[in-house]
Amino acid sequence: MKLLIHRPDGAVGAEPSVAAAPVPVLSGKRIGLLDNLKPNAGVVLARLGGHLAERTGAEVMTHQTKNAALPCEDQVLERLAAEVHVVLTGTAD
Amino acid sequence: MQIGPAELLEVDLGADESVLDVYERHGWGDGLPLNAPTTERVREMLHALGDVDPDETVAVLPPRAGVATRRTIAVNAVLAGCRPQHLEVLVSAVRALGRPELNLRGVNATTHPVAPLLIVHGAVVISGGYNFGLGAFGPGNRSNAATGRALRLILLHIAGATPGSGDASTQGGPAKYSYCVAENIEASPWGGYARSIGVDAPSAVTVHCGEAPHNVHDMESDEPARILDKVASVMCSTGQNNAPISQGEYFAMLCPEHAAVCANDGWTRHDVSSYLFNQARMRVGELRRAFDLRAWAPWEQRLRDDDLMPMTESAGNIKVVVVGGAGKHSSLIPSWGMTRSVTLPVEP
Repeated sequence: MKLLIHRPDGAVGAEPSVAAAPVPVLSGKRIGLLDNLKPNAGVVLARLGGHLAERTGAEVMTHQTKNAALPCEDQVLERLAAEVHVVLTGTAD
Repeated sequence: MQIGPAELLEVDLGADESVLDVYERHGWGDGLPLNAPTTERVREMLHALGDVDPDETVAVLPPRAGVATRRTIAVNAVLAGCRPQHLEVLVSAVRALGRPELNLRGVNATTHPVAPLLIVHGAVVISGGYNFGLGAFGPGNRSNAATGRALRLILLHIAGATPGSGDASTQGGPAKYSYCVAENIEASPWGGYARSIGVDAPSAVTVHCGEAPHNVHDMESDEPARILDKVASVMCSTGQNNAPISQGEYFAMLCPEHAAVCANDGWTRHDVSSYLFNQARMRVGELRRAFDLRAWAPWEQRLRDDDLMPMTESAGNIKVVVVGGAGKHSSLIPSWGMTRSVTLPVEP
């Protein structure tokens, strides 16, 4: 039986965010570590940042959000945009 | 199957093919059988709202930034098995989901098993056929089951809260299938909840993003404190998010018999909240041992280890609603934490 039925999802209200182009060489760049305060996020990011700094000579800077359950504050994002070339974040439990 | 014009799909349903099969291939649905959302059924559903714009945006729902219109809400209502009289409740609930203080992005993104509980208040409870009495949390009543299920389908389809990509809940939970209940205003000695917080409308909805209900059992007490001490005991658990998050609300869903014991002793709804605020406390030192990460109010951060700390920062965070029928079981619904409940009038 042929039938027309509705899709259930509808339109998307805002253009989905698109990741910036990757940075091909990290040497001489500044890397921002954005700690969202999830358990052990700071530990993982610090270790990762340390390895990257050692291997590439990149400068590593750490920032924190107030709470993992809330969107990152605009002020923090603005500082990151102004100060670093690459941001590492997105850790979970 | 072909993609049809606009939002329609042309499907060939037969003995071996169902709407569930078609939707499953698209990554849609909740895993249970679905009613076919034909244009006729969706039109009939929308007709119940009267003269309103079916394509007006009701809310934009994260993380997908999906645009919920009355039409897309109606499509999901048909899928879930709603009747047309349920649609205005659903539209109002979606409006509540879109309020910033509810923090739907966080609710959908968290690893916690939080689900939006829809509480229906007022005249629409009767006209919509919602169960406010025995077994109100289910199963067995189409209005509660289908409206709650439709709200979840809207989260899956429009908000994109698909486990994995849009819902990070570690274990998921049964409340994520359908979670809708009606307030038993007739048996409430304090009148309706919505009116008590200033929403003066014939019908209203509350959306509270919390855990599944935790049972509170008291078969024998005839004075309020002995019953409410058990509610307070359920509140004092380090396994719930309220313990490290002080802004979290609790919904104390009192059964009529427990509520009557309180009211017969002269207790108001506010008295119940205040008593629970006073009784539901834990030693600060115990909480500090349990949590390194604490989203506590500034005054709570200054307490000493041997102080007793309330499980939420104010009595106003403890909401009291009468639900259910005969018997002596109430329930407590802790919050996810970083969210506030929203109560709105039922409007198309």
